[in-house]
Amino acid sequence: MRTKVLLVCFVMSLMFIGQAFGQTHRVTGRVIDQDDRSPLPGLNIVVKNTQRGTTTDTDGRYALENVSPQDTLVFTYIGYGREEVPVGGRAVIDMFMESLVIRGEEVTVVGYGTQQRREITGSVARISTAALRDIPVLSFEHALQGQISGVDVQENTGEPGGQPNIRIRGTGSISAGNEPLYVLDGLPMSKNLDLQGSLFRRRAAFKPPATNPLAALNPNDIESIEVLKDASAAAIYGSRGSNGVILITTKKGKFGGKPTIRFDSYTGTQSVANQPDMMHAEELIAYTQDSRNNNYIQDLDPLNPSSPDFNPSYDPTNNDGRPNVGNYRLPDQYVSWEADGRTDTDWLDLIFSSAPITNTTVSVSGGGPNSSYYISGGYLKQDGIIENSQFKRYSFSAHFIGDLNESVTFGANIHASFTESDRVPANAPYFGRPPGIVYSAMVHSPVVKPLDDLGRPNQRAADGAQSFLGGGTTSASNPLAIIDGVDETLDNHRTFGNVYADISLMKDLTFRSMVGIDLDNFQGSFFRGNSLLYRTATTGDPYAQSNAATRTNWVWENTLNYKKSLRDVHNFTALVGYTAQKDVSESNTVIANQFPDDQVQTLTGGVISDGTSTKDEWSLVSLLARVNYNYNYKYLLTATIRSDRSSRFGPGNETGTFPSFSVAWRMMEEDFMRDRFGFLSELKLRASYGETGNFLIPNYGAIGLLSQGLYIDDDQPVVGVFPVTISNEELGWETTKQVDLGIDFALFEDRIYGTFDWYNSKTEDLLLQVGVQSQTGFTTALQNIGKVQNKGFELSLTSRNMVSAFQWSTEFNFSKNDNEVLELGPGTDEFPDGAPIFVSGGAGVRHITQVGAELGSYYGYVVDGIYQTEADIANAPRDDIAPAARPGDFRFKDVNGDGVINTDDRTITGSYHPDFIYGITNRFYFKNFDLSIFFQGVEGREILNLTARHMKNGEANFNSYDILTERWRSAAEPGNGETPRADRATGSHGQNNRPSSYQVEDGSYFRLRNLTIGYKLPRSLTSRVAQDVRIYVTGKNLFTSTDYIGFNPEVSLQSQNMLVQGEDYGAYPLTTTWIVGTNITF
Amino acid sequence: MMKKIIPASLLFSLLFIFSCSDDFTSLAPHSERNVENFYKTPGDIEIAVNGIYDALQGGGTYGTTTEFATGGTGGYWVLTEIRSDNTDQGPDVTGLSLQVAVLNRFEEDALNQIPQGSWIESYQGIARANAVLTRIGDVDFGARQDKDSFIGEALFLRSLFYYNLALLFGNIPMPLTETVSISAQVPAATVFTQLITDLTDAASKLPDVHPSTVGGRATKGAAQTLLARVYLTVGNNSAAETALRAIISSGVFQLVPNYEDLWGPANELNTESIFEVQFKSGLATEGSGYAQAFAADETQVGGFPVNQRNRPTVDMINAYEPGDLRFEASMDTTFLNPTSGARQRYVRKYLSVPAGDQDGDNNWIVFRYADVLLMLAEAIGEGGEAYGLINQLRTRAGLADIEANTAGTFEDKLLQERRVELAFENHRWYDLLRFGKAQEVMQAHSAGATLDTFDDPAFTFTGQLLYAIPQREVDLGLDQN
Repeated sequence: MRTKVLLVCFVMSLMFIGQAFGQTHRVTGRVIDQDDRSPLPGLNIVVKNTQRGTTTDTDGRYALENVSPQDTLVFTYIGYGREEVPVGGRAVIDMFMESLVIRGEEVTVVGYGTQQRREITGSVARISTAALRDIPVLSFEHALQGQISGVDVQENTGEPGGQPNIRIRGTGSISAGNEPLYVLDGLPMSKNLDLQGSLFRRRAAFKPPATNPLAALNPNDIESIEVLKDASAAAIYGSRGSNGVILITTKKGKFGGKPTIRFDSYTGTQSVANQPDMMHAEELIAYTQDSRNNNYIQDLDPLNPSSPDFNPSYDPTNNDGRPNVGNYRLPDQYVSWEADGRTDTDWLDLIFSSAPITNTTVSVSGGGPNSSYYISGGYLKQDGIIENSQFKRYSFSAHFIGDLNESVTFGANIHASFTESDRVPANAPYFGRPPGIVYSAMVHSPVVKPLDDLGRPNQRAADGAQSFLGGGTTSASNPLAIIDGVDETLDNHRTFGNVYADISLMKDLTFRSMVGIDLDNFQGSFFRGNSLLYRTATTGDPYAQSNAATRTNWVWENTLNYKKSLRDVHNFTALVGYTAQKDVSESNTVIANQFPDDQVQTLTGGVISDGTSTKDEWSLVSLLARVNYNYNYKYLLTATIRSDRSSRFGPGNETGTFPSFSVAWRMMEEDFMRDRFGFLSELKLRASYGETGNFLIPNYGAIGLLSQGLYIDDDQPVVGVFPVTISNEELGWETTKQVDLGIDFALFEDRIYGTFDWYNSKTEDLLLQVGVQSQTGFTTALQNIGKVQNKGFELSLTSRNMVSAFQWSTEFNFSKNDNEVLELGPGTDEFPDGAPIFVSGGAGVRHITQVGAELGSYYGYVVDGIYQTEADIANAPRDDIAPAARPGDFRFKDVNGDGVINTDDRTITGSYHPDFIYGITNRFYFKNFDLSIFFQGVEGREILNLTARHMKNGEANFNSYDILTERWRSAAEPGNGETPRADRATGSHGQNNRPSSYQVEDGSYFRLRNLTIGYKLPRSLTSRVAQDVRIYVTGKNLFTSTDYIGFNPEVSLQSQNMLVQGEDYGAYPLTTTWIVGTNITF
Repeated sequence: MMKKIIPASLLFSLLFIFSCSDDFTSLAPHSERNVENFYKTPGDIEIAVNGIYDALQGGGTYGTTTEFATGGTGGYWVLTEIRSDNTDQGPDVTGLSLQVAVLNRFEEDALNQIPQGSWIESYQGIARANAVLTRIGDVDFGARQDKDSFIGEALFLRSLFYYNLALLFGNIPMPLTETVSISAQVPAATVFTQLITDLTDAASKLPDVHPSTVGGRATKGAAQTLLARVYLTVGNNSAAETALRAIISSGVFQLVPNYEDLWGPANELNTESIFEVQFKSGLATEGSGYAQAFAADETQVGGFPVNQRNRPTVDMINAYEPGDLRFEASMDTTFLNPTSGARQRYVRKYLSVPAGDQDGDNNWIVFRYADVLLMLAEAIGEGGEAYGLINQLRTRAGLADIEANTAGTFEDKLLQERRVELAFENHRWYDLLRFGKAQEVMQAHSAGATLDTFDDPAFTFTGQLLYAIPQREVDLGLDQN
């Protein structure tokens, strides 16, 4: 296909050249705007170095007599610059002029249309091609990270193909999802993570983050990304707008453009970033001895001569005189370490390795006088830093546009991709099923050898195996055995795109009809072999699962656009539209176990034991309208309305209507401003109010559903059916009402420009599972009740510091969002605005969502220092949770001041919501060099570090963070003041490991995200083969400054569950990447 | 041409707007049945009745749940056996096991998840039965003859859940139709009155045996057994006697000759079994977890993890007379742990090697014929016939007969016989309540608990005979009992 297009273009260009010789002749043609293809009237055309020339007529046409083939025509036009075209032998020269983009007139994509930037009254941010081109990314979400104010891109996992989370202006919903709506070339995309399937046996809390369904899109095919942040911009998407909207525009060819071939490729290597420091064998041994000695001394009092347990033979370094119960004895490995040959295994080193990455995209674009094309093919292969993990993407993209005649244009835009993810169980604790690799490696004792005498992963078998013993620590599965024993793949075919027709019905009135389709197929397989022994298990537990899912999503949109200017000052545009969309997904899962061996890893190798298949649908029909009016680009207003009817809404609440209204005043258009404040080149005040919805509620939430289980009758399974949900005819969308006030400004002829926005957004009718009395047969009912507020401000600034031969620009953005729950469910006497929601995450109840606090806050006791002396303990409030605290244990805070520390003293200890986020990019251009340095940071975010339960607990029952070497040893050796004493049985003494602020850690960070140095080879070197050749080196995640003890201060294990954000219970770490690449334009 | 296409397509899209949008957005679930279109045919009713049975398998009712999936509840066996003097939690009293241990020691609070789980799951079963009973009247069964049987099964199952709830919690709501509106709490006595009506009705509608099945569904005998139990509970012994004699004279049930042949997957649905909750391994969701919940060590159950719960107390061990064949069939006190070498004891009645983790094949016997004989003895009171009934079971157990002259009151002897005959079958706590002995026995048990060599945990008996109504229900408007 591609070669044919190339061939055709090649032949066509030869034909033009062939006409290059002849006598003088008449040249005619038409001059047209490159972007909107409107004719350019009154444009000057001169034969170069002569006085001869002409201008175009109202239709953009011109004619010039007596032109010789050697002549060159010069086209000039205000706002479009100058183009020179050698005539050759051509009699017809059609010219496509590209407008010089003035910042305010830059075309910005908004929902269902485009606007010039100066016309926009809402809050819309844009990432341009240039910015996208500079920084090579694996998926477009990464291009947004730290680049746009108000957009928080969280990289929770470093797994290849992993999914970043995007939150625009905070978190408004508890259960209906907080993902923005993604619209690709007008096609609202589905991002249904359920299609990927999940392991039946995996506990929901340890489900790994989904792979990124939008990674199917090759970011090299993207022209621009716009983010609709405020309700007035997003309201045109009605019931899907409340989390913001991300509009992705893909690349097109240019009418009349020469064929351009682009080749973008890079290759590089990745290694683990920000690896935590764990104890070495010697440190762990000292810690273990300390913890067991302390326990022994406290429980049995062997040092006290008057005690019945007095033990003169007590030796803290060995087991003399100690009983073999109660964790007093020292494990043999720790006593006879000398004899053991000093094994000191660095398990983390064993599981991570450097991994290659390579990415190539080739595209061809161009066009004839009446058509344009863009086609591209891409290949990405990213190996994971943990063996057996990998992501591959094969992508193909094509966009054709053709004018049928003067009033009708057709287009087709297709993206097809195939991605292949090899996954490893990295995102789970050591006791997950399957166990987490990273976590198992962290907790594994360094005194254990990784391999047995036969060179196999050391597990519970003969031949020198001992891993199951944990070397005196709690047993965990050997991480190398997990890597070997689990095989999981997830393949995704995705095809999406649209065909459309733009029909000019009359002057100023155009009609567009678009049909879009998004087809998605997932195929997943999981195999856990006999070879992996789960912790102390003596036999393997083979298990295989196969998932398949398919989704069809189509949309049909019809819009009418009217554009009119009256007397050149009253500018109107109006849009009305009707859209229909339907999404049908089907999925099935089959499970097998009892595999006799690991030879056959498909389900046929075992015994099929279970399976399901499901089908789900939703549909949406909408009417939408928008009116823009401005008076001479000075006073602007926009009003939109959208009405959505969805299958998801209850029959009593079928249609939602979402209005918005916004106004702007471009003060710089006022004479008095221009006179007095000449240094300002733009000053626009904006105000908007709008209502948007969140329709990501369950597909059949309004309908009372029946579920089924089995019973055994006559020794055979029979199906039984029973109600599981209560009907709620009134069930509807969540509504977000948002006010936005903004200023756009530019100074010194656009040398400095920026945007400031303040917003206040309230999400109401929150979808909550409200508790009901169990006598109904149900425990919860889904209702629209509850309210959350997000308010904050955003600033983005660009400064072109130097604009001469040496160019230097700085972009800065800053966002602050405050999240507060205002109402939760039906009120009671004690809680007039609804009772708090306590939620168990990975390890018991550690999260609270309550009125007046941030959604999903952490909940527990507050550490208030460390007892240094017995007197400290005596003087402190009595701690009912700690049966026998000693110096070196935590002093917990008496939060309610009642003189006793008990369960009532649990309180909020932090949250995953950051105080503010920011990004700074500096770009430099000098001659052929370019350099960009991009820092990004998050401040005031806390992580609930559940790994601290095991690796910071003072019990020495796991290998531990080496910060425990700075533990409290005595009042004279208090350590770092934050780490308690070692005590093997703190649960029956000081209870230092209770859920508390000790496990809540500062997740603030400042990171060098990207450093790119590029060099454009001199034309003189490359002109024979290519137009442009740039080579570059990029480093990603080169440096992170954080106090967080774990791998990644952005971690959030259950990132899809708003109530338990911010947990670290083992995760695939981020990588540091170095790549070298080239961009070649032919 | 374009001039024609354009208006045509506009017209078409307008038509689309006004014609299809209602249907287009009215979508019904494909993968789940829904309340609007279900309960219409006899087939619907049949699987809806199966759905009630399914509630018996729950981790809060007669089943036992994998801790890992649901956070761990234990069901009726925790609330009746571990609560009583028969068993205790076992050696592990940390984490989730702590919630069981505090129940054993009468220290639980209204937040304890185990009574809450039983409360919720029992009412789920009741709601499933109510849905059937409310809807079945409108269903035309045509030529099918099983409508009455379905009504009887639903009534029996609902009564079984209510019987447990009334004895465990006392003052409970008693909805009898499918509704989401709230019923007021009623005393247990009111519940029992209702159960007598319902079970009498059920017994009249249920067949002696189901023609199409060899086991798994409630029969007339099951309804009569529960009816007799309720009559005994409310003190109407003569009515109980009538029901029990009807069971005996039906000739459907016989004692199994050897007590040990009552137990294990191979002996299920024997002639003595009146009603048992069905489990089956190899189907992923239908296995039972008793073997793993009760075993002393993983080597006994194919290497799958064990909980070591429901451990016989020393009191229980001592309750057996020397030579009682039921002792070794019911428990084992000689197991030596292969790792630690420690001697351990556990309930053996449900020991089996499961096909997979939490996938055992053991059923749970709710009622068996021996219970009917003992209840008849209870109903008719001391006398030759009563001792004859008791001695049938003693003979099978290899023990000498007892009679009026044997030491102890008739009541004590009967209660003792019930204890050892029906050990670990969820009867003990209800028997103690019914015989009015709970206070006395538990007081003595708590005092003696620390004296034995097996480290039974000491505790203080609070005199609390009912479980607190779960806090979540109180928060939602119920009165605490």
